[in-house]
Amino acid sequence: MKGKVQIKIKNRKCQFEFEIERNITIVRGDSGTGKTTLFNMISEYTRLKEESGINLQCSKKCIALTAIDWEHQLEQAKDSVVFIDEGDRFVSSKDFANIIRNSDNYYVLFVRENLHELPYSVNEIYEIHTSGKIHTFKIMQDRLRRLLCCSL
Amino acid sequence: MLNIYFGDTDDVIYNTAVYFKNTYNEKWLTKELTKQMILDVDKSEVVSEKVINSPVLGMISPEQLSGGVKTLMLVAYDKKHVFNASTCGDNCAKWLLKIAENEKREINLRHIMNFGDGEFKIRVLNTNRIVHNMKELILEAGRYV
Repeated sequence: MKGKVQIKIKNRKCQFEFEIERNITIVRGDSGTGKTTLFNMISEYTRLKEESGINLQCSKKCIALTAIDWEHQLEQAKDSVVFIDEGDRFVSSKDFANIIRNSDNYYVLFVRENLHELPYSVNEIYEIHTSGKIHTFKIMQDRLRRLLCCSL
Repeated sequence: MLNIYFGDTDDVIYNTAVYFKNTYNEKWLTKELTKQMILDVDKSEVVSEKVINSPVLGMISPEQLSGGVKTLMLVAYDKKHVFNASTCGDNCAKWLLKIAENEKREINLRHIMNFGDGEFKIRVLNTNRIVHNMKELILEAGRYV
């Protein structure tokens, strides 16, 4: 797994364009910015491909992981971009961390909780930025760190 | 007052989106508090109990609202359970404080939510201490997340 991966996914209502660089990308930010919308689009495309009506452009296979049988799903995923939405407890488990460490996939995690088992960089924490119909990833400003530094 | 347990615990509804889908009451949608929260967080307008007008997605069902707004409704109207509020972004923080303004509410956070620059009153259940601003909150709860 090397290099940047560009992803462009759209339907009639909205379009997401972003690039991922490392094996783990975390997406956080405010509610209502489109994280679940993006995950649902990937999920529908994973299930139905072009028949979903969604247009996906990516050099790698994109997969939306679901909680049921996630270990088996990851066993099957090779050289892919795996998207995981919030609400799945397994993301913070040691089992999941071990699988990620030995994997050649890229992972995009929509999760706010701190994942102590995973080796991700603070430089790879993004939020979704919207301009018109187009949504992109933007590096998240660490407002808390700034607030704490200023107040101590 | 808002009571928060920080960190991992089994005694909460973790996947609030699924819980909302299977338990929400349509009457919640037309309450004034809900309308304000949806307008502020999702920039969307409640049309009826079943329909919300989203500037991005058009007419949507309550199940298509953001995870944050769904969790806010659960915290506001389902007093029997404790919910994982790490499904809420920082733009939900003021609403959590408002919901708990006049009565006790308990939530679970697995990250430090930014409650803003102002003063507030939150009980950190891990230590049973009350904090009044973000500096105190981080120092009190940071070690648990």
